[in-house]
Amino acid sequence: MQYHSFLTRRYLRRRWAPWTAAIAVALGVFSLISVLAVMEGFKLEMRERIRGSLSHLVVKGGALQGLVGEDQILETIRSQPGVLAASPFVETLAIYKVTRLDHCLVRGIEPVQESEVTDLGLYLLDNKEIDELLADPYKLLPDDRLPSSAEEIDNTFSLERRRLILRWKGKGEGFDEESPPQALVVGIEALRSGRLAMGDVVQLSSYSPVTFEPCTGKFIVVGAFQSGVYEQDQRWAYADIRALQEMLDLWDEEAQDMRISGVSVRLEDYSLAAVAKQQIEAEISRRMELSTIDETAIPWRPSEVLTWENQRENLLQAVEIEKRIIAVMMLLIVAFAAAMIFLILMLLVIEKNRDLGVLRALGASRNGVVLLVLRQGMLLCITGTILGLLGGWLLVENINYVHDTIRDLTGLQLFPPDIYYLERIPALLRWEDVALVCVPTLVFGFLGSFFPAQWAGRRDPIKALHHE
Amino acid sequence: MNDPIPSLPVLIARNLQRDFTLAGDKTLEVLRGIDLEIYESEMVAVRGLSGVGKSTLLHCIGLLDTPTCGELIYRDGESTWQSPGISEQNRCDLRNRFIGFVFQFFHLLNDLDVLENVMLPSIVSCTSSQWRKKRSKVETRARELLQRVDLEGRARQAPGTLSGGERQRVAIARALINNPRLLLCDEPTGNLDTRNSESIHTLLRELHEELGTSILVVTHDPDLANRADRLLSMIDGKFHD
Ligand SMILES: Nc1ncnc2c1ncn2[C@@H]1O[C@H](COP(=O)(O)OP(=O)(O)OP(=O)(O)O)[C@@H](O)[C@H]1O
Ligand SMILES: [Mg+2]
Repeated sequence: MQYHSFLTRRYLRRRWAPWTAAIAVALGVFSLISVLAVMEGFKLEMRERIRGSLSHLVVKGGALQGLVGEDQILETIRSQPGVLAASPFVETLAIYKVTRLDHCLVRGIEPVQESEVTDLGLYLLDNKEIDELLADPYKLLPDDRLPSSAEEIDNTFSLERRRLILRWKGKGEGFDEESPPQALVVGIEALRSGRLAMGDVVQLSSYSPVTFEPCTGKFIVVGAFQSGVYEQDQRWAYADIRALQEMLDLWDEEAQDMRISGVSVRLEDYSLAAVAKQQIEAEISRRMELSTIDETAIPWRPSEVLTWENQRENLLQAVEIEKRIIAVMMLLIVAFAAAMIFLILMLLVIEKNRDLGVLRALGASRNGVVLLVLRQGMLLCITGTILGLLGGWLLVENINYVHDTIRDLTGLQLFPPDIYYLERIPALLRWEDVALVCVPTLVFGFLGSFFPAQWAGRRDPIKALHHE
Repeated sequence: MNDPIPSLPVLIARNLQRDFTLAGDKTLEVLRGIDLEIYESEMVAVRGLSGVGKSTLLHCIGLLDTPTCGELIYRDGESTWQSPGISEQNRCDLRNRFIGFVFQFFHLLNDLDVLENVMLPSIVSCTSSQWRKKRSKVETRARELLQRVDLEGRARQAPGTLSGGERQRVAIARALINNPRLLLCDEPTGNLDTRNSESIHTLLRELHEELGTSILVVTHDPDLANRADRLLSMIDGKFHD
């Protein structure tokens, strides 16, 4: 009805108090939107980085038994449709001592093959980059960096480079041609923290899963990588798969073959991972059932196929759950704003009690009065929501500019880049998140308006008209 | 006084009773069987002691209150409405178009200016699209009415800045904007001094004659009572001649 919009305009025009409720809603929506956008951006960034250092799929053996029949397994996997590349790996925990005792996760790989299944090529650093990254502890590789070529990767692990590095650094007691130290590529954070340095010769110690005897190997730090996942850049190290097999004494008597921990697989299209995973699982278990005389048979070992998300499920879920918890907590702000709408409207109904009585006398229906109050509440709520959305969107679009300005003005580093390696705050506003914010806000706003409106409708116009 | 031409009644009230339930299950019988007919173009005044139920009667007739028992019939030309048995929507429409209210305390809306207050009954009954079509017509009529009550220059003034007499004249203009068949006035000059009362009385009588609207006015003022076509006294919730 006309009088709804007419009176709403008149009531809200000259009063500032109701607008505080709208501002409260706006603030709530604003914070929710910006926080959700940053959390989402952060989540995607994390995902991308974790994904980069993992392959699409991993065929894994048991922790101790591993897998045997590397050639057959590789052949099996590569012959599956949708598989782009496959590369074997050996994984072990090791401790080493240079300046102090420390541990790392050593991944034995075929360097060039590995770069075909993961983004190793993208984050394996050359000498110049290592120097640059060591000079600035917050520096990240640029996003548009070209991947290292197969030749460069191969070269990093080569005997020649080991010899060169050892000579440059002038460390160690010369190069033992008989049993040269093996190449070890460590995460950049291990270098940055000073635990290791380029050219360090380290003794890695571990236990052989075959003999359960302690075993050691001599390695030389020949390179570094930056995956962008702090934990990995601190603890992971790459070595040549054959060297690691040797060190761990992985000869399997029964199968007369070297054991591997598993095979990394890259697919043509990750969205078809579920299908590929099933196919590979089925084919491998079929071949493991075959009699040993068969050429294509794979010696039986327990195995499983995992997508990269399966492998990091906990971490990914943790970020997602964190986001949800924060969203729920922040909704409290919106609920608070709705409570403000409620109070403001209650006051308005008391203040305008007489007006509402007059309106009834002049022909407004009970529902008309209810709608009049409801309309004012929803107007405040919707205005607040729109302002909040707009503000949130502006902040999300310019978040790094805002952050830099605050940092320059106050010297506060709100978002220290060292832990997450984020020079830029990632932020992504999704429609789902906008809906996640707006729907509850409007529902709360409706509830906050509904009760005062009902109350206004139930008031007796005669009593209202009695008073002067 | 002109002789009323008792044509047809615009309002018939039969055996109107109104009880109020008080705390402790006591009932207060305020109206105890009111019979009343108001004819077209008739001005009826009601007198009575304070607390006798005059306002209650007006509220019942004005469809703001519901009588405990009894019957109300409203007639406008060929159409009639009978209460009880009237829908909520019709009650609202009758309040809006058929009845005009003038209160003792004026009851203007302070957030609107004088002109908007006068147009308010029209605004209340319109949807937005109807209002866009009707607006200029209503505004012209409102300005005419304001002129009629000697307030033509005050259209954009805030009601809070008007004197009591002026406010009551705005209220009368508001009550008349939809051309009601029946004007209900509850002590329209109860809050005004003699001189202002006098001019309101004259105005009411003049408007009554010009517009032919029936008027039911509750008053303690003998001057206004004497100007009415018919004078009813209310004693103990009933009319006595
Ligand atoms: N809602 C109510 N509940 C209980 N009693 C009521 C209610 N409304 C009115 N009354 C009582 O009904 C009686 C009549 O009230 P009403 O206002 O009609 O009197 P009145 O004749 O208009 O008096 P006045 O001349 O002072 O305005 C009073 O005694 C009043 O206390
Ligand atoms: Mg009264």
